[in-house]
Amino acid sequence: MKNLFRVARWEFVTRIKSRSFLFNTFVSPFLFAAVITLPLFVFNMQPQISTKLIGIIDLSGLHIKEELQRELNRSYRLGNRSSEYMVMNVAVGNSPVYKRMATKYQEIRSRLDSINNVYNQIKEQRMQYYKNRHIPNRDYVLRSSYEKLQNTRDEKELTQIELVRFKTALDSVYKREAQKMADSLLYTDVLNAYLVFQPDFAKTGVVEFHTKNPGDLREVDRFEKILQTIIIKKRILDDQIPRSKIQKWFRPIRIKRYQLLPQGDQEWNFYVQFYGPLIGVFLLFMAIFTAGGYVFSSVLLEKSNRVIEVLLSYVNSSQLMGGKILGLGFLGLVQILSWILITVLMLAAGLLPADKIAYLNLQNALYFIIYFSLGFLFYGSIFVTIGSVSASEYDAQQINQLLRTIAIFPVLLSLLVLANPNAPLIRFLSYIPFLTPSFMIMRIPLSSVPITFDIYATMTLMVVSIAVMIWISGRIFRMSTLMIGKKPTPQEIWSWIKVK
Amino acid sequence: MDKKSEKNILEVQEVSKRFKDTLVLNGLSFCVQGGETFGLLGPNGAGKTTTMRMIMNILRPDSGEIYFNGTPRNRLEGVHFGYLPEERGLYPRARVLDVLVYFGTLNNMPRRKAEVEAIRYLDRLGIIEYTDAHINELSKGIQQKIQFIAAFLHDPEVLILDEPFSGLDPINQTILMEILEEYKKKDKILIISTHMMDQAEKICDHICLINQAQVVIDGAVDSIRKKFREDAYFIEFDGDYSALSSMEDIQILEEGKHSYKFVLKKGRLSLADLLKKVEEKARIRRFEVFEPSLHDIFIRLIQQQAEEKA
Repeated sequence: MKNLFRVARWEFVTRIKSRSFLFNTFVSPFLFAAVITLPLFVFNMQPQISTKLIGIIDLSGLHIKEELQRELNRSYRLGNRSSEYMVMNVAVGNSPVYKRMATKYQEIRSRLDSINNVYNQIKEQRMQYYKNRHIPNRDYVLRSSYEKLQNTRDEKELTQIELVRFKTALDSVYKREAQKMADSLLYTDVLNAYLVFQPDFAKTGVVEFHTKNPGDLREVDRFEKILQTIIIKKRILDDQIPRSKIQKWFRPIRIKRYQLLPQGDQEWNFYVQFYGPLIGVFLLFMAIFTAGGYVFSSVLLEKSNRVIEVLLSYVNSSQLMGGKILGLGFLGLVQILSWILITVLMLAAGLLPADKIAYLNLQNALYFIIYFSLGFLFYGSIFVTIGSVSASEYDAQQINQLLRTIAIFPVLLSLLVLANPNAPLIRFLSYIPFLTPSFMIMRIPLSSVPITFDIYATMTLMVVSIAVMIWISGRIFRMSTLMIGKKPTPQEIWSWIKVK
Repeated sequence: MDKKSEKNILEVQEVSKRFKDTLVLNGLSFCVQGGETFGLLGPNGAGKTTTMRMIMNILRPDSGEIYFNGTPRNRLEGVHFGYLPEERGLYPRARVLDVLVYFGTLNNMPRRKAEVEAIRYLDRLGIIEYTDAHINELSKGIQQKIQFIAAFLHDPEVLILDEPFSGLDPINQTILMEILEEYKKKDKILIISTHMMDQAEKICDHICLINQAQVVIDGAVDSIRKKFREDAYFIEFDGDYSALSSMEDIQILEEGKHSYKFVLKKGRLSLADLLKKVEEKARIRRFEVFEPSLHDIFIRLIQQQAEEKA
């Protein structure tokens, strides 16, 4: 038993002074935190810098621009109180194609006007003829003027049809040219985005949102909300309801989120709630994989340079294996304690707003340490096994990669955990030993109700799986450490586990 | 423990070991007494390393048992044993003293004592200046010396060295031999495994030759050599004397550039007559009764065994 601690001490002391450990403890967490929070900062900072220009191509004739601008002004303002969004119609007046079409359209229109004039004149004249019975050749005049009237009416109708058709063509040219214009403005970053309203917008409600980055959900969400209000207003207005009433109906609501916690309600902040536990999981992941990496590189080294023979002649294989896991586990613990210390120091220095982050408390720190230790013992015994059965660093890296993928999996589901930390799926997944520590570390701070049962049950489960895992890896470790240059087959490994 | 007053004794009794389909050791038995240098010899793959690993309790025999002073090996702690494996290796990034102290403490030495002893041996082997160096900065020879120290720092009762002299220069070989001599005087057990027969001849008192999982010969070096003496002579001339090879009274066994190894054919010629005859023609530089070297015995026995098999 003493030798177990001697091995542990050796592994601990030789690693704690190493540069890679210091880097992983004191530099990479900050790098990591910077990497994931940087986009957040940029995201939040950006609107403070400038007003965003939004282009509009309005074919609906509903004059959406003014309405949209008014609503945007009301809802979104910058720090300096100026409007966050500026709406402008995309002008196409300079496009030669459109100009030509527009001139022609004007021509047709004025022609229609003049025909209309002529038509009205004839009609008036004929009225005179009817009233005045003393006109010579009255019958003839009436008849000929009737013919004239008919011809003019035909011409008028034809011109009207032509005008409508031309208008449609003009609209599509307008849309095409405007979009061409808007695209180039978007491309040169003059516009942040532009919206296209089709002529039947009021009916269909379809709006095109063109932007360079359609992934910006927040922007899309805002426009969707505002346009929804606008179109409903328009539809209601069409139903002859007084404007003042509508305004009253549409007074916007604002949701403030509070979370119920044992120590009282707390205002809820998405970023704090989401990124905090996520950083926690990443740190856990890093600690386990840093120390775990040491475990198997140490086994591989001893195996490849045959120190293992000397060691095994002085200590037995379970002491050696246990010592390694214990020593490097302590290393991970030191890492985690230094992070907790750093967090405490940051809290003390006021760099972190303690009152806003309820989950930064002693109890959760304790859970963090417990789940780390359990996770480490579990993964540590796997790492030892991998190290001992691998013929080379390359083999070991491959399996390690697979383990990493499994262990990081909970992060992919972090949004689901955030939405409902106690959803059946999430609860189920927390009972898979590979995933337990990561899921529980996210769930404990996020859950609004105490999950004591899950905590104790998963801890028990972890302890049992660790015992099984260590038993298995002990058997494999014992047999495989003396093999060199050859990878054991799965059958061989199975027979080692079975052997009495 | 009334055995304490007696000599240390290590017994290997009917030990067999099988790896998958190959029988590595088949009922191997030998016995080593304290105060003698025991040589475990054999060609590659004979089972030497497996035997040593079993003595070190790294492997367990399938059948048979190993006793040290009457106690089965697996009931003893590793402290009584020291081991230098054939393939050398240490922690490359660690410091010399740290590694030695680590191995010392694994054998129940107090830290302080391990440090003192380590420094003493480092001084003795002339590498005291590397005490705080990192192992990967050192030459192979120095690394090997450090591994020696690691093997006997805790003053074990049984010391097993696998190919101890390979890679050492003559001066260091001599220093090491001195240390081993001193160790032997304490009536402790020293087991050396080697391929280098001339080395084994020089330092071993007792050898055991194993081949194909079995003991071929086991005994004191002197008695083995006596047993294999073949009445052969060795003669060396100044200059050339090829006429010797055509003489009918002798049978040439081996021919060198200016030397011959031969036996007299029975009843033809006495040794004195032969020498007289030769001296008339050429100047003899060296003449001696030929003692078979372990090397020769080794090769002869193994060939014999192969022939018997065939």
